[in-house]
Order: sequence, then C-alpha cells, then structure tokens
Amino acid sequence: MSSLVEVAGVSVRFGAARAVDGVDLTVETGEVLALVGESGSGKTTLIRTILGLQYPTAGSVSFQGKPVPNHGPAARSYRRDVQMVFQDPTGALNPRQTIYEAVAEGHRIHHGHEGEKEKVAEALASAGLRPPERFFPLYPHEVSGGQRQRAVIAGAMILHPKLLLADEPVASLDASIRGEILALLRRLVDQTGLTVLVVTHDLGLAWNIADRVAVMYLGRVVEVGPTDQILAEPRHPYTRALLSVVPEVHHLEPQILIGEIPDPTRIPTGCRFHPRCPVVAGGEADRLGILEMCKSVDPQFLEGVACHASPPHAGGGGT
Amino acid sequence: MSDPLLSVEDLTVTYRAAGKSVPAVRGVTFGLSVGETLGLAGESGCGKSSLANAVLRLLPLGAKTGGKVMLEGEDVLAMKPGRLRAVRWTEAAIVFQGALHALNPVQRVGDQIAEPMLLHDGALTDRAAAAAVKGLLSHVGLPERFARSYPHQLSGGQRQRVLIAMALACDPALLIADEPTTALDLMVQAQVLALLERLRTERGLAMIFITHDLSVLTHTTKRLAVMYAGRIVEEGPSDQLFTAPFHPYSAALTAAFPSIGDPGSRMHPSGLAGDPPDPTDLPSGCPFRVRCPVVEDRCAEIDIRLVAAGEDRSAACVLVGT
Repeated sequence: MSSLVEVAGVSVRFGAARAVDGVDLTVETGEVLALVGESGSGKTTLIRTILGLQYPTAGSVSFQGKPVPNHGPAARSYRRDVQMVFQDPTGALNPRQTIYEAVAEGHRIHHGHEGEKEKVAEALASAGLRPPERFFPLYPHEVSGGQRQRAVIAGAMILHPKLLLADEPVASLDASIRGEILALLRRLVDQTGLTVLVVTHDLGLAWNIADRVAVMYLGRVVEVGPTDQILAEPRHPYTRALLSVVPEVHHLEPQILIGEIPDPTRIPTGCRFHPRCPVVAGGEADRLGILEMCKSVDPQFLEGVACHASPPHAGGGGT
Repeated sequence: MSDPLLSVEDLTVTYRAAGKSVPAVRGVTFGLSVGETLGLAGESGCGKSSLANAVLRLLPLGAKTGGKVMLEGEDVLAMKPGRLRAVRWTEAAIVFQGALHALNPVQRVGDQIAEPMLLHDGALTDRAAAAAVKGLLSHVGLPERFARSYPHQLSGGQRQRVLIAMALACDPALLIADEPTTALDLMVQAQVLALLERLRTERGLAMIFITHDLSVLTHTTKRLAVMYAGRIVEEGPSDQLFTAPFHPYSAALTAAFPSIGDPGSRMHPSGLAGDPPDPTDLPSGCPFRVRCPVVEDRCAEIDIRLVAAGEDRSAACVLVGT
C-alpha cells in the first residue's frame, strides 16, 4: 500500500481555539480509515482541511505526494479526485432538483453534457439504485432516506474519485438501512479501489467496514492502528473508555467519563486528556510514578499511541 | 402484575393526509407497572412516536385515536381537557427528542423548568419554585447556576439533562423518553443513560424508552417491544429478545448493530433490504413479508397477530410456534 493522503503536523486555529492541534495522519490507498472522536474533537475541521475548504494554520496536507492545490487547473482536478458525503442526505440534496439533476451536476461541471445520461445511470446503479431510469425523474421527498443517501453517494461516485470523505454517513439513518449503506461503501472500496476516510463516533461502524481506526481527542490524534487491534486491545485510556460504553461491548467494565471535551481555547497542560483520564483519577498513574508527567508533559506519539502510561507499561497487562 | 400504572388496549392512531386515511398505529396493547421499563424499537414511520404521543394525547388535531389508554385507572382518551392538563406532567411526562429544539431559546433554563411547576401548583411561590429548580438541576447532575443560563450556552448533553429535569418537575410516575440520546455523542449518551437508570431506581419511575437503536435498549429497559407498520411484532425480556429474536424483523434489527469483537460482523455490515411499507398501501397478510428473508406463500394470506412464543414472550410471525 502507498499513501494517498499525508497529513503532516497540521494545526488549525480559529482565534484562540486550537481546533486541530498538530495532527500527523496517513491515509493509505484503497483502505477505509475511520476517524473516531466526540463532538469538539476536531475531526470535522480536519477533513475540511484535507478537502481544501480550510487552510491549515501550520503543517501541510499532501495528496499523492503533492501539496493540496488551492487554485488553477490542479485545484479543479483535485476537486474531482476528492469527493464528500455528508451526514444528512435530506440537507445535502436540493429539494427542487430531481435525483437525475443532483447526480449529473458534478459530471456537468467537470465534463459538460457529453455521455451524461449513461454516466448518471451507471453511478445510480453502482450506488444500488436499480433500475436507474426509475429514479431519474424523482424528487428527494419521493424516495426513502436510504435511497436519498445512495443518491448522494452516486453524485460523488459519478466523478470516479480517488478519495471519498464521509462525515457520519449513517448517523441520521435507520438501523436497518445503516448496514446497507455501509455494505455499499465497503463494496465500492473493494471493487473500484476507492479510498474512504469516514468520520464517525460509531465504533460499530469501524468494526463493520474500516481497515484502520484513528482516535481523536481535543484536536490531536491519540491512537491509530488496525481496527482489529484497536478495538480488541485499545491502549489509550480514552479509546478504552469510549469502547467500554458502546452498548454492544461486554468485555469491558463501562467507564463513564465525567464531563465533556474541554474548551479548545483552554487546552489542559501536559497530556490534554489528564483531567478526565481514568488512569490518573484511579491512582494508577501515581502508582506508576508518572502522575507529574501526565500533568506537565505533552505525550509524544509513539508506535501508534500518545499516552505516558501506555508504551512501556501496558504492554501485556492492559484490559 | 396487579394494578398496572399504564395499560394500553388496542390503541389505534389514524392521521388524514391528502384525503387518505393513514393508519400509524394499528392496534397496540401493552401494560406497564410502577417502576417498570419498556423499550419501544422500530424504524422511522413504524408508529412508535405516534404511540407515545397518544398516551398523553399530544397528537395533532385531526389525528383519530381508538382503543383505551388507562393511566392509573383513568382513560386518558376520554378525559375532559381540564383533567388532561392536570394529569400531563404530574402523572406522566415526556422527554422529547432533539434537545436543540425542545427548549425555548430566549427563556432562561430555570424559568422553563419552573413553568410546569407554577402552572400545576397555584400556591407555589416563585421563590419556592426557584429553589425546586436548583434541586432538580443538581439531581440531574448540573450546577445550580445553570438556572440562569440560556439554552445556547449549554452543550447538547447538558440540554438533554435540562429536558429530563423539566420532565421530573412535577414528580410524575411515568416518564416517556422519545429518542433521548439520538443526537448525542457516545460518552454523553452513556452519561444520560446512567442518569435515567439512577432516576428510575431512586424515584421508582416507570419508563417507556423509544428509539431505533435496539442496542441502547437492551441495557436500559427490562422489556422490549419491536414495532413494525403500526403494530408490535415482538415483545419480551430485553436480553432474550436481543440475543435470540423470534421475528425475522427483530433479527434484522439486532444484527444491524455489530457486536464488536465478533468475527462474523467484521467487514460484514448487516442490513435489511427494502424500505418500510407505505401505511396507506400496506401489503396483504403480514406487512413485513415483502422484505422478509424467510417469507412463505401463506404469509400473503394470514394477517398474523402476536402469539405466545415461550414463557413471557410473544411474536407475530407464522413461523413462531410451528
């Protein structure tokens, strides 16, 4: 695998708020990478930066080895190669536009009218809307929520992108439809070599389709690794806590963290997670003799995890 | 179960739209005792919110209800408006979905919580109400100073706690929670669920918990009812229903939530093809048959209702009990 996207030392500031605060992340070609975190962790800002909708305050994003272009023909081609699927398909579609028009729009912008009908039919069929002709004249309100999300995905796929950024693609859908849309995304990856970066707070989604998981907390990636590894043996206490409150996880004692993600204008000193960290609160950090480090030293990202307690100590004994 | 707190008998809710009658709830029967919890699960449009709103007669004008809703021995559907007003909030309260929209953006949180208390108790002074508000806020885990905050100054999870505090203001015996955690983050959802569980044990609240996320219910409620096309299609103890569902629809819903660590669902998302049926044009026989993976010829003819399926469980499927 080669890397498709390289995020190097990216920070995004809005005034005093450090929304993204020094992120290094690689997206490999042909993988599904799940970016997991709570509201306020900076995951949406990070994908907006990858998409080129937001300039990084520091650091850089490169795509296929070149910096993301922001103007000229290169930017035009970048916007073909990278497509976005949003959370709410009802909001993403124009209610006065037919499904055909919605799907054709991207193609028309980049390629004109040539071969439009065939391309739209092909995109709809690839997104599981068959027979495609039946959906041409329908308006968004005339189809179900699941079909609407399929139409949005068809609109992205008509340009044969290399990278699809999906922001909570199933969060607003019913449970029964969720699996169908996830299966569609996975199939597109397996069959067309598409790369998907999916932003979610749903760890079950990661288990269902992702090759790797990256966990974000307060503007930083705190743990990255293969899905099987992260969800079976999380090393960062934040990942462990997140996983323990998933209703379908039974092997971990639920660790309900108190409070919410702190304000990004006032990032705690030392490890940014230490005020909510169960390892600190439970006295384990003190026993390990690392409490002062947790409170004063920002942990380095080593071998996929940024935690003072993790690298040497938790090797064998983690929960 | 002697003397249930709530007993719903053959409840129907029918809307009218574009000259057609739209049956949203088509004959639902269940009971709930003091301190008991029931989860109602199903897709959008299955009638679960209509059912919840019908219990307190909160449906829009023009919606027709049938059957009986007995709340502490009184039929809610037959109550006079004055009596209904007295019962709402004091005997049963609703926590609505969408913490963002259920609060008035230009009124302080404390005043919104105090409002039902002042309306229901004419003798209550503003000062006593303000004190009660502070008590309620700390009861749901919020600082008392939040009484003076406006909704936009709070996070989603905090607003949801405010809504729960509001629902508890008049000390109801029954709490109906309509998707109370749907828009919340995982950790905040866990916090709210833990709060509801604490309130249930401390106050002996009976709870109806509505959601499309079946996995949330198994840990929150003792019993579970799965709805499809306006009817309960399976009912039973939550853990049993979740681990060994009888109805193929329940099976599809439970499979939609992967068990993390289960190799069967790794790289293998499971869903249910097709869409819920149009309530104005329901298929003959079993309404689920058009999406059912184990459909048989006879399903088109038999309009199957709930039948007993083992101890304390029931399901509406021709395959049950054969």
